[in-house]
Amino acid sequence: MRKRISAAAGLAALALTATACAGGGTSTPKADAGAGTKSGGTSSSSAGGTELAVPTGPVTITFEEAMTIGTLKPAMDKLVSDFQAKYPNITVKLQGEPDYATMYTKEKAEVQAGNAPTIGQAYESWASYFQSSGVLSPISELAGTDSPAAMSTFYKGIQDDLKLPDGKTWMWPFNKSVLILFYNADLMAKDGQSEPKTWDDYASVMKAVSKDGVTGSTIDPGSATAAAFGTQWFEILARANGAALYDKDGTPHLNDPNVVKALQYMKDLKDAGALATGKNYPGETALGAQKGVFDISSAAGYGFENKTVGGKFKLNITALPAGPAGAVNELTGTNIVVFKSASADQKAAAWAFLKFITSPEEQAGWAATSGYLPVTSQALSQPALQDFVAKNPYETAAVSELDTAFALPGFSWIFKCQGYEATAIQEALENGKQPSDALNTAQSACAAAKAQG
Amino acid sequence: MAGASRAGLYARRALAVFIGAAFVFPFYWTVVISLGRPGEFSNFPPVLVPHWDWSNWSRAWHSAPWLRLFGNTVLIASGTVLLCLVTSLLAGFAFGVLRFPGRKFLTLLVLAVLMMPGTVLIIPDYVLANDLHLLNTYWIQIIPWGASVFGIFLVRQFFLTMPAEILDAAALDGASRLRFLRSIGVPMVRPALVIIAINVFLGSWNSFLWPVIMTDSNMESSSTVQPIEVGLSTFANAEGTDFPGLAAAVTFTTLPVMVFFLLLQRQFIRGALSAAGGVRG
Amino acid sequence: MTTATEARQAAAAPSRPRRRGAARDFRATRWGWAYSAPAVLVFLAFVIVPTGYTFYVSLWKWNALNPALSKFKGLGNYRRLWDSTQPAFLSSLWHSLYFTGAMVLGGTALSLALALLLQRGGALLNGSRLAIFLPHATPVIATSMIWTWVFNAKFGLADWVLHSLHLPTSQWLQSSSSAMPAVVVYSLWHEVGFTTVVFLGGLAMLSDELSEAARADGCSAWQEFWHVTWHQLKPVTVFVVAITAITSLQAFTQFYQLANGGPAYATTTLSYLVYQEAFVFSDTGYGAALAVVLFAVTVFFTLVRRRTASGESHALV
Repeated sequence: MRKRISAAAGLAALALTATACAGGGTSTPKADAGAGTKSGGTSSSSAGGTELAVPTGPVTITFEEAMTIGTLKPAMDKLVSDFQAKYPNITVKLQGEPDYATMYTKEKAEVQAGNAPTIGQAYESWASYFQSSGVLSPISELAGTDSPAAMSTFYKGIQDDLKLPDGKTWMWPFNKSVLILFYNADLMAKDGQSEPKTWDDYASVMKAVSKDGVTGSTIDPGSATAAAFGTQWFEILARANGAALYDKDGTPHLNDPNVVKALQYMKDLKDAGALATGKNYPGETALGAQKGVFDISSAAGYGFENKTVGGKFKLNITALPAGPAGAVNELTGTNIVVFKSASADQKAAAWAFLKFITSPEEQAGWAATSGYLPVTSQALSQPALQDFVAKNPYETAAVSELDTAFALPGFSWIFKCQGYEATAIQEALENGKQPSDALNTAQSACAAAKAQG
Repeated sequence: MAGASRAGLYARRALAVFIGAAFVFPFYWTVVISLGRPGEFSNFPPVLVPHWDWSNWSRAWHSAPWLRLFGNTVLIASGTVLLCLVTSLLAGFAFGVLRFPGRKFLTLLVLAVLMMPGTVLIIPDYVLANDLHLLNTYWIQIIPWGASVFGIFLVRQFFLTMPAEILDAAALDGASRLRFLRSIGVPMVRPALVIIAINVFLGSWNSFLWPVIMTDSNMESSSTVQPIEVGLSTFANAEGTDFPGLAAAVTFTTLPVMVFFLLLQRQFIRGALSAAGGVRG
Repeated sequence: MTTATEARQAAAAPSRPRRRGAARDFRATRWGWAYSAPAVLVFLAFVIVPTGYTFYVSLWKWNALNPALSKFKGLGNYRRLWDSTQPAFLSSLWHSLYFTGAMVLGGTALSLALALLLQRGGALLNGSRLAIFLPHATPVIATSMIWTWVFNAKFGLADWVLHSLHLPTSQWLQSSSSAMPAVVVYSLWHEVGFTTVVFLGGLAMLSDELSEAARADGCSAWQEFWHVTWHQLKPVTVFVVAITAITSLQAFTQFYQLANGGPAYATTTLSYLVYQEAFVFSDTGYGAALAVVLFAVTVFFTLVRRRTASGESHALV
C-alpha cells in the first residue's frame, strides 16, 4: 500500500518537474540561436538560473559510450551501478559501441532519426559539430550556470577542454588521459641506457637500442580519418619545440619551422632505423614481443600494455621527455555531451549522473580500474586511488600534467586537419617526402577545411 | 611421347596441389597462431606447427555470446535467402517471360540498383528504419536485402533460354501463370535458385557495416540481434593486440561457414557452373 | 543457344499459329507488375528513393543533423571535387580504376588459367578446386583480419615467403607504393575462387568436336586454346569481367579493414572516399556528390561494356 502511495507521489513530482522545466527548455534554444553570434552570456546565465533538481520519479537515461573493452567495461558498469544504488529511481541504459568511429556514426544517425541518446561520449570536434547543428544542450541548462561548482575542482587543462570556441561550457569530462612513455627496462639496462629526460635524449637512446632486430619504437601515425598516438606524439613534439600548431580561432600553423623540425626529428629516427610504423597499437605489440623498447601511449593503456607484456620483462613507465619549450602533453579521450532532445527529467537525471561520476569517490574507483586519469585532484586522497598510485608511481606524474596538457581547439574541421597531419607524417616517414613539403600540403588543406567550415 | 605427357600430367597435378595449398595456407596459419603460446605469433620466421595450447580458444570463447551471435547469423541469412528466392523467382519470371507495359523501365530501374554505391544509402535507410520502428530487429537485417538484382537477372536468364514450346504447351493447357511457375518454372530454374541461395547466404554472412549501424551492440545481453561478424569485429577492437585470442575467434567463427561450404560444395560448384551456363544465353 | 532457339521458333511458327497466339496471351499481362512488385518495392524503399535523396542532397551543403541549417550550393559540391587536393578527386578515381583494372585483368587471367589447370581432374584436382573456392565462402571481415597479419612487415607470412625466396621484402600495407598491390593480392585470393568455377562451368560446356577438329588440323595447343577454347568462352568471360568490374568499383570492406584508405590516401578509392566524407567527416552533401559520381562511373563502364559486347543484349550487365 505504501509503495503505491509513494509511486503516486513520485508521478506527481515528475509531472511537476516536467512542466516546470518545459518552460526553461523552450526558452533556452531561443537564447542559443541568438547566442550564435552575440555569445549572449547574460541571457543564458539568467535564463537557466536554477540548477535542475534530481528527479524523484522513475527516469531512464541512455548513454552512448565505447567503454566496452578490457578493464573499461567493468569500470563503466561500476559507475552505473553505484549511481543507480544512490538514485534507485533513475536507470542508466548503456548503449555500448565497439569503437569510437562506430559510436560517432551511431550518434549522428540517432540524432537524425530523432532518437538521440540522453548523453554520449564525444571528442571536442564532434561536440562542435553537434553544437553548430543545434542539437546539444549547454551545461548551463542543467547546472543553472556556465561554471558549476564542481568544475572548479577539475584540473585546469580539463576545465579548458569543456568549452567550445564560443566560450560556453558544452561538455563534461569523462575518460581523460595524457600520453606516457612505456619501456622495456631490461633491454634498456642491457644496453646501459638510462631513462630519457629530453626529446634529444630520447632520440639518442632510441638509436642506441635499435639493433639485432629491435627497433626503438613502432608508432601508428594515424590515418586521414583518425588520429592515433603517433599523430599526437607529433603534435606534442611540435609544441615542445615551441610551435603553436593552431591559434585559438583555429588558424593552423602546420608549416611553422618548429613543426617542420618535429617531423624532421621523426624522419631522422625512421631513417636511422630507430622508428617504424604500423597499425593497430603496433608499439604495444612490438614492446610485448621484445622487438621494441619504447611505446608512447595513453596512460589509460596501462592495463593493455601490462597484459601484452605478460611479465616477460620489467615494464617501466615514466612521463614523456621534455623539449626546448618545456614538458608538453596532450589530453586524450573524450567528454560527455547532453543532447537537446532529451526530456527535462532526463536532463535532470543526466546532470545528477554527470556530477556523480566526477565526484572524488567515483573518480578514484574509475581511475584505479580503467586506467584513465581522475579529473579532480581530490580523487587522489581517496583510498582506492592511493593503493593504485602506490603500485603505479607514474600516475602522480601523469596526473600533474593534466593542469598543463593542451587540447586542439574545438572546431568540427580540426578532425580533418589531424588527418592531414597524419598524412604528412606518412608522406615523410614512408614515402620519403621532405617534411616541409608534406607540411605545406597539410597547411593549405587545413586552411581550406577551415574556410569550408 | 607418352612419358612426356605423363610427366606433364604429374607436373600439372603438383602445380594444382601447390596452388590449392597456397590458398588454404592463411587459414592454416591462423589455426597455428590460435593454438600457439603467448608471444609466439610475432616470431620470425613464423611458427608453422601448432603447439596445441587451447587456452586462447577458451579465453576468446568466453568473451562473447558466440552461440547466440551464430544463431542470429543463421536466422538472418536463412530469412534473407528465403525472401530473395521468392522475389527473384517472381520478378525474374515477370522480366523474362511476361510482356507488360513498363517492363523495360522496371528492368532498367532494377539494373540501376546494382550500380548505386551502398555505403551512402545507410543514413537515409537508417532514418527510414527508425520511422518504421525496425531498428534493432531481425527484420531490418532481412527485408532490405530480400531482393537481389543478380538473382532476378539470373532467373530471367534461365527463362529467356527456355524453349518456347514449353510456354506454348503450358498456354495451350490453360495453365495459370502461378501454376506454371510452380510446376514447370521452379524445377527449370532450380540451378539458378541454388546459386542465388548460396550467394545471398554468403552475402548475408558477409554483411558488416549495415548490422553495425542498424542494431545495438549489447554483447553480453542474451537478446542481441547482431550477427557473428559484428561480434568478431567488436572482439577484434577490444582485444586488438591479443593476436592468438583473435586468431581463435576468427577460426571458430569462420569454421561453421567452411563446414557449410564443404557439405554443400557440390551445390556450390554446380551453382557457379550453371551461372556460366546461364550467361551463355 | 539463342540462335538455336530462334531457329526452332522460326521453324515452328508457320505450322502452329494458334499456339503462338496462346503463348502471346500467356505472356502479355498487366500482372507483370504484381510479379515484379515484391522485389521492386524492396528496391524502391531501400535503394531507389534513398538514391534520389542522395542526388538531391548533393546540391546542398547539407547539415544532416539539422536539415533546416542546410545551404543550397547548386553544383558547388561538384566544383569542390575538382579543387580538392587532400585527397585529389582524380587520384581517388585513379585508385578505383587501378583496383578495378587489376581485379578485372588479374582476376580474369588468373581464374581462366586456374580453370584450365583444374578442368577434368580427379580427386586431387577436385581438392584444389575446393581449396581455391574456400576463401570466397568466408567473410571479408574475418579474412582481412588474417591478412593484416599476413602483411605484417615484422612477422608476417608474406615477408617470410619473400625472405625465403631471397627476394626483397616489402612494407606491404605500410607503404604507399605497396599498399594497393597488397589489397589486390588479398582481393584476388578472396574472389578468384568464384570466377574460376564459373570458367570451369564454361569449359565443361565446350564442344569437344571443335577442339578435335582443331587438333586434326594440326593446331598447336596454344592455337587451339586461342582460336577454339577462348573464342567459345567469350560469353563467360564477359560475365566474369562485368561482375568483377562492378564489385571492384564498389568494394569497401577490405579497404576499410586492411588499410583505412592509407597510407597517404594510397588506397583511397571513390567508394572509400564516399564513406570517409559522408560518415567520418559528416560532409554529407559532398559525400553525396561523390556517390553520384561513382554511380555515373559505374553506369558509364556498364554502357561501354554493353556497346562493345554486341549480341549480349540480355546479359546481366
